[in-house]
Amino acid sequence: MGKQFRNKSILLLAIIMVFSVMAAACSGNEGSNKGNNASDANASGTNAAANKESEAPAGATELSLWTPLNPNASAIVKSLSDVLMVQEWEKKTNVKFSFEHPTGAGADVVQQFGVMVASNDLPDIIVWGTNNIQGGPSKLFQDGTIIKLNELIDEHAPNLKKILDENPDVARQVKADNGDIYVFPHLRVGEYGKYKTFAGQVIRQDWLDELGLQQPETIDEWENVLRTIKEKKGIAPYTSEKGTLLGTKSSYDFMGAYGLGKEFYLNGSSVVYSPLQPEFKTYLAKMQQWYKEGLIDPDYATNDGKAKDAKMSSGKAAASFGYIGGSIGTWLPALQQSEPNAMLSAVQYPVLNKGDEPRFTETSWAYANQGAMLTSANENPAETIKALDYLLSEEGHMLKNFGVEGTTYTLADNQPVYTDLILKNPDGLPIGQAMAKYFIANYAFVGTDDDRYNEQYYALDTQKEAAKKYAEFADNAATVLIPPVSLTPEEADEFGKIMTDINTYRDEIVTQIIMGSASVDDIDGAVEQFKKMGIERAIEIQQAAYDRFNKR
Amino acid sequence: MQKLMQDLSRNKAIYLMVLPMVLYYVIFKYFPMYGSIIAFKDFSVSKGILGSPWTGLENFQAFFDSIYFWRVIRNTLLISVYQLVFGFPAPIILAILLNEIRKKTFKSIVQTVSYLPHFISLVVICGLILDFTSRDGIVSTIIEWLGGERSTLLGSADNFRSIFVTSGIWQELGWSSIIFLAALSGINPELYEAARVDGAGRFRQMWSITLPGLVPIIMILLILRIGGMMDIGFEKIILLYNPNTYETADVISSFVYRKGIAEGQDYSFTSAVGLFQAVINFVLLIGANWFSRRVSGNRLW
Repeated sequence: MGKQFRNKSILLLAIIMVFSVMAAACSGNEGSNKGNNASDANASGTNAAANKESEAPAGATELSLWTPLNPNASAIVKSLSDVLMVQEWEKKTNVKFSFEHPTGAGADVVQQFGVMVASNDLPDIIVWGTNNIQGGPSKLFQDGTIIKLNELIDEHAPNLKKILDENPDVARQVKADNGDIYVFPHLRVGEYGKYKTFAGQVIRQDWLDELGLQQPETIDEWENVLRTIKEKKGIAPYTSEKGTLLGTKSSYDFMGAYGLGKEFYLNGSSVVYSPLQPEFKTYLAKMQQWYKEGLIDPDYATNDGKAKDAKMSSGKAAASFGYIGGSIGTWLPALQQSEPNAMLSAVQYPVLNKGDEPRFTETSWAYANQGAMLTSANENPAETIKALDYLLSEEGHMLKNFGVEGTTYTLADNQPVYTDLILKNPDGLPIGQAMAKYFIANYAFVGTDDDRYNEQYYALDTQKEAAKKYAEFADNAATVLIPPVSLTPEEADEFGKIMTDINTYRDEIVTQIIMGSASVDDIDGAVEQFKKMGIERAIEIQQAAYDRFNKR
Repeated sequence: MQKLMQDLSRNKAIYLMVLPMVLYYVIFKYFPMYGSIIAFKDFSVSKGILGSPWTGLENFQAFFDSIYFWRVIRNTLLISVYQLVFGFPAPIILAILLNEIRKKTFKSIVQTVSYLPHFISLVVICGLILDFTSRDGIVSTIIEWLGGERSTLLGSADNFRSIFVTSGIWQELGWSSIIFLAALSGINPELYEAARVDGAGRFRQMWSITLPGLVPIIMILLILRIGGMMDIGFEKIILLYNPNTYETADVISSFVYRKGIAEGQDYSFTSAVGLFQAVINFVLLIGANWFSRRVSGNRLW
């Protein structure tokens, strides 16, 4: 009997093996399919490049450029070489780019970048947000992946040099602690680089008017407004999503009103961590109370971006945090389709006491850690720098932000105005995609941004007002937000190890408190836990980096 | 040696057929094991696997000291145990029930319908689960109809494991029953005839012939399942959890994902955790095999 079973079990084991092999083969296929797609994309990229090669003037410098493709662009072009502005840029600077665009977004891109660096199969240029790189550009430089740009900029980049010389504040942000420049930056500077705040709280203005309410300024007024809307409209008025989870480092809510940054911020000249502050407890108590009363969407921790968009565009929520372009621009037209009288408007950043000025606005720095790095594989650094610097010249700046005169914009009173090709695209493209098809204005790259682009990108009156309102106290942010400091590779490593655990713990305890499954007093225990996990060392590292920044 | 050569030449075709599988395991399973040494190193991408400095057991120490250590172990084991207790018998029962159905068309319809969810991508499945369990979802509607209160079920830590395990059973029930059906068709029909002659009824036949006929395959699958106790894929977990449910949802693999890929990029630490997990699995597998041999005489090797 035993033997018979044994034989049978061998047979069955064989069947199991076949199944697992099938499973393995299936998953294997998936992998190789992905690979194929990627190589397809590459192939078409190179094809496109090869096709245009014939048009490029003889002797053009060939440069490979790695950059994740912005969603607006990837919706409409396969590669940046299909963008009109890039083709013009190549002609003007006598270079020929072949673009490499990683697939996916977020963690996928980080992973592909890691593999690229680890295999030392480097492009000539990397254009990316350097916040994504563990240890930042200084680590890449130390590892020999990228090169230092100071001398190259001195010699070949007169436009960037001029900006840096004229704006010591900006220069300080671009340079590393030791004065090295590793990144050819993307900047918001000068006369047309004033907009630095692109988001804030948004509310249903028509409901405020209908219910006889004023725009809320303080937390108490917010509470009153939300409560009235809840009672009269029968909805949970304030919504949010899991990506911007309330009370966490990625939140965009009412923490600023309590004088708290989202994570690390400045109190005078010392770096502090917001969950350790006594005000944080007050803030959590308020959020817990709001949640309990039903003023906050009970599903805020499980909503994804789409769910939040759906709530804001269908009247199931009355207020949320939003971007002027991406959020208001989507919600309002959708709302008005079903309710023609619906109206959204921007609300000033909240404060605690009437008359206070908000300080913690979502304001970016002139240099937001975005730009181009030249790798050690680049054999034409001088030509590369010249080509990049062209984008900072007057001509290049116009080309980057507005495209080709006569095609994508015209000059009226010396001011660029987009043509209908962009504003009312004949193919029915949304404005963001129409822009991305012809030039690089609505996402970060290299070069300088232009406010005159924003003014036209924000087509709705609400958006224009929002831009003004959010920007009103933008300068205050500079007194509390930590500038783009850089950590040493060792610091970055240690900091990363400490903060991943702390972030998880914070996300959890804060969510439990707000949702009421933990009491507000539990934050005291959490603070002890943060200390055990090494938060004080993390603060020290940030402080040291900030002090070095000030000495630059 | 000579014997081996003889064997090789005699069974050429068979060896040729097994070759791709052997290569598969060597290339994709054995060769990457060498990468496990970064668990004992402070791995840096630029220095490479061999060039990174050794750190001994530091990474393991860090994991054992982590405040999440017990929680991820507990969650992993609990979810596994639930999957075993509720998920393992389900396809067996389905297979036996299907075996009793005499109507061919009905049987194949049931089979096809129950296989279907297996072929839907996990991302889509999780989208469905999130939808069904949301405040306006069908499950909430049923709960309300039964007199409960509407809520986002996945927003609460108490529900996570039940939803995770139940949806897993739903998705894999039909597919996993295939192997039992195959085993059932191998049972000699004469046994049933003899039993009927002896006056055994339907249930008696099920109990005395069908089930014993399934025991070997059940034991083997059970051993394999126990060997994979510490393995819970991170994909479904991370698609369904949120900070409010970490308490019951965070398992070893999702913890590794967050630390290794999503936020921390701490490859050495996560390799150490992965290695630890593999060692436990190995011990469980050996233990289960030993136990099964002692108790039922069935074993993997």
